[in-house]
Order: sequence, then C-alpha cells, then structure tokens
Amino acid sequence: MNKIKLTLREKPVVVLEAEVISPDLFVEQSNEEIRASVVYHGKRQKRIDDFFDVEGERSDCIEIHGDLNRVRHVGRAMTRGEVTIHGDVGMHLGALMKGGTIEVHGNAGDWVGGEMKKGKIHIHGDAGQQVGAAYRGSILGMQGGTIVVDGNAGIEVGMRMRRGIIVIGGTARDFVGLQMKGGTILLCGGAEIRTGAWMQRGTIISLKELALMPTFAESGAYNPTFLNVYSQHLQALGVQLPYAEADGRYRRYSGDRGVPGKGEILIWEPAV
Amino acid sequence: MTCTLGEVKNRADFIVYWGGNPAECHPRHFTKYALMPKSQFLPRGRKDRTMVLVDIRETKSVKASDVFLQVRPGKDFELITVLRAMIKDQPISEAQIAETGLSVEQLQDFVARMKAARFGVFFFGMGLSMTRGKHMNSAALLTLAAEMNAFTKFVAMPMRGHGNVTGADVIMRWQTGYPFGISFNRGYPRYNPGEFSTVDVLVRGDTDCAFIIGADPGATMPKPAIEHLKRVPTIVLDPHVTHTSKMARVHITTAPAGISAPGTAYRMDEIPLPLRPALESPYPSDEEVVRRIKETILKKPDWMGERPQMLTTQV
Repeated sequence: MNKIKLTLREKPVVVLEAEVISPDLFVEQSNEEIRASVVYHGKRQKRIDDFFDVEGERSDCIEIHGDLNRVRHVGRAMTRGEVTIHGDVGMHLGALMKGGTIEVHGNAGDWVGGEMKKGKIHIHGDAGQQVGAAYRGSILGMQGGTIVVDGNAGIEVGMRMRRGIIVIGGTARDFVGLQMKGGTILLCGGAEIRTGAWMQRGTIISLKELALMPTFAESGAYNPTFLNVYSQHLQALGVQLPYAEADGRYRRYSGDRGVPGKGEILIWEPAV
Repeated sequence: MTCTLGEVKNRADFIVYWGGNPAECHPRHFTKYALMPKSQFLPRGRKDRTMVLVDIRETKSVKASDVFLQVRPGKDFELITVLRAMIKDQPISEAQIAETGLSVEQLQDFVARMKAARFGVFFFGMGLSMTRGKHMNSAALLTLAAEMNAFTKFVAMPMRGHGNVTGADVIMRWQTGYPFGISFNRGYPRYNPGEFSTVDVLVRGDTDCAFIIGADPGATMPKPAIEHLKRVPTIVLDPHVTHTSKMARVHITTAPAGISAPGTAYRMDEIPLPLRPALESPYPSDEEVVRRIKETILKKPDWMGERPQMLTTQV
C-alpha cells in the first residue's frame, strides 16, 4: 500500500508544533506540498523537510520514525487513515480526533486523545498525564473512541470524559476518572490515590485493589452481565477482561457522594 | 467566588484558615482584616466572629482559633469532598470520616457552623495548594465555597506569598485573559498549565532561553529545572544577588520596586495600591529595562512572517 514515511533527522531544540502531520491533509498532497507544510519550531514557521525526510505522497497512511517527544499535536483532529510512530511522541497526540487509528511503538506525552470523539489510539509504552481528558475550561473530555496504553499513565486519566473506553495496562497515577461523566476506564495495574474523585457517572474497572476516596460506598459484589460484551470487545484489542463467575467477582462501589454522583468503581476479586 | 478584604473586615462572621499559618506568615491579617476589626455588622469585633483553623499540625495560629481541626497530612482533598457530601446530607460512614483524621462530631459541628454563618470566608494557604493534589486541592475548596452559597454567603481567597504575585496574575489576566501558563508562540495567547507553565517547561527543557524578572526560581524550583536554567542563556532582572542570578548568564541590577521605583502593587484581594518611591536609586527600574529590550527587539525583522496561524480548533 502507498505509504508516507517521515524520518526525524535531529531532535528539535524547542517544541515543534506539527498539527499538519495528519492523514486528512497528507492524503491530498504531493510530496512537494507535504515537504512545504508549515510547522512551528517555537515561534518560528519552518517547513516539515527542515526536520523530517519525507518519502511518498497522497496517502492517508503515515509512518514516522525518530524520537518525537518534542513534536506535538500529531494527528490532531484527524478523521481517517493510519498514523504509526516508531519512537516516543510529544503532547496532544490525536487530540480532538474523529476517526482513524494511531499506533505508537514508544512513549507518548500528555493529553493523548484529549477530547477525542472517535477512532483508536494504541500506545505500546507509557502515556503522560490527562489521557483522554478535557482541556482546561472545557466541560467534556473524551466523547468516544478507544485509547489503549500498555504501560503506565500519569494523573487525571479520563478527566471529565463522557463516552468511550480507556485501557491502562500498567499503573495510573492520581485522579483517574476525575469528574467523569460517562464511559469506561479499565485499570489493569491499579492506580494510586483518589480514583474516581468527583465522578458523576461512568464505570472504572480495576483488576487490582484500589485506595478509594471516603465518599464511595460499597454496594455489593457481583458479575455484571455487560462485562461479557465488554470482554469480547476488548479481546479484539488484545486486552483480557475477566468476567466468568468461576474466576471471581467484582466488588462494586458507588459514588462520588461529594457531587453527588452515580458513578461506579468495580474492583476484581479473584476466586481463591 | 471571592471578595475584598474590606468586605471580610466589615461582614465576615465565619473565618476558616486552611493549610496556612497566618499568625506567623501573615501577622497583620488577623488584626487588620479577618478577626479583630469592629464594624457596623460586627460591633463586638472578635467576639462576633468564629475562626476555624484546619492544618496538619499545631502552629502558633491555633491560639487565635475557636476550633482547630487537625487533618491527616495529604487528606485535605478527601476531607473537602466529605464536607461537600455532608452539606448535602449524603450518608458518609464513621469509618470513612475517620480516614481524614477527624471525628464525625467535629465535622458535623463544622458543617453546622458553616451553614449558620451569615458571611463565611475560606482563606487557603500553601499547605493546601502545594501538597499532593495541588490545583485540585484548591479547586475542591473553591467548589465547596461555591456550593455553600446554596445556604449562605461564602467566599474563598488564597493567602498569597510575598512579592507582588497577585499583581502578576491580575495583569496577565486582563492583558491575555489567562493568569499564568500562557504561550504566545502562535501569535495569540494560549493557556494550558502543565504544558506552558514555567516549572513544567523548564523541567522538560523545552526552552532555549530564560528571562526572569524579580523572581528566584533557583531557590524554589526542582533540580532538573535549575539544571536547565544553567544550560540555557538566563537573563535575570533583580535588585539583589539571588540563587538564580548567580547561575545566570546576565544579571541586570534594577531598582527595588516600591522603594526606589514607582509602580502598582496588588494586595492579596486584587486591590491595586500605587507605590511612590521613597529613595533614589542609581539603577534603572524593571520597567525601563524591559522597555529598552523591547525597543531593540522591535528593530529586528518581524519573526511572525505571515499572519499567525491558529490551530484548527482552539485549545
């Protein structure tokens, strides 16, 4: 398949804002047009080929090589296509995206999939803070789509999210699902403190014990039926979610009563 | 939701200091604004007011308080969220409350006092805003104050540190719309604390120059940030030799503002106070230095090139 390959020649000295690296734009551009796309190196306007070697043209399949941890806004608001990054990547990866897939073989910065609506992001390494979160002053975070992080994540994962699924394979830090309004967060390696703080609705599933806020109340243990469906859906993404009664059950906590909210936290309790 | 200290002085009959030690850090706060003054609405002064101190340890401010609530360190956010639930009569179990280091009776008494107040104020200090949770701890207290307005008048105000920190926030706010953490690199202000706030930018090493006016990050910021300041050309404007100026490439000595240079200082409640210089100084003021630097920069060609290009959807 026709592919566009970008290779970073050397790491930018200051932040490089490259929202032009998006399948929506590249699919209609010739190699020369892609090379001439404007990126912001700090305050200065530069061309993409000042930093990257560009191969290929007119494709919505982009492959990027190099240490991009100062390159921000990659795949911003994209609606189609594929972006594959071999190396680390900076903040706002796939923010506001409405479709397509992003795969990162490395670590990602903060605001991965911030306020995204649709599409899929898979980070094979660690992610930074505010995964799938709302921007400052905004009411809704992620409103759909899927984010899978194989490694750890920072604070405020899924802050104010409304819909969609976030999977954290490792450990998340404080404030997972802060002010969450809907959607699902799956924590395979547990989280630090204040999980689900101020949540209104939505589901946080943890496969490890959690230190909960004092405003959550225990409300039974069971095996929710909807998890069978979830488990099958997540299996396609390579995530194992236990649900069979023979393997154990989920303890359910509801809250956050400070709001007061109707969110739920499910903590997996394996059968002995 | 905030007010001026004049309103506190004249009307506030319920004062809460949270995570601060005003007796030692803001010694005139009690006598000038918060506790002692008599007014038309509080004719008996201190006797008409209730003061609650919330802190993790007993400080000298405890003596001035009517009620002292000793919260377990790092449990401020939990305590405030429990209070948010309690003011709305949500059931919270005793064991859950005990986690915060306080008893049910203490919190019930606190909530009853808050609801009975005519005008309540939360003053919060670094013990709240600079411990684990940071901005969310402050956000929690501000939300509690907002929600208390369903019952009675309640406001919250940060106890600001030394120097004109409020002034910096106020000026940035009316100039750009945002108080701090602003980037101008696309030609218009964008706000995103965590991405553009000074300490984060320096820790990640995302700048190739630093220009510091009247601040001493070398004494307060984490080590990676200081290491980065040493690496890049750092320019400091300060009347004194500071930790930062010692490692800076350039240190321009300026006249101390308020003493030898005129200007406007902002009180912690954002009231501007004009300052007249009392002494002459051989050094230029910060303003003059910055103006001359700006004039020189304006002689260079415009870096913006074509007009600023907005991000497709505003962040």
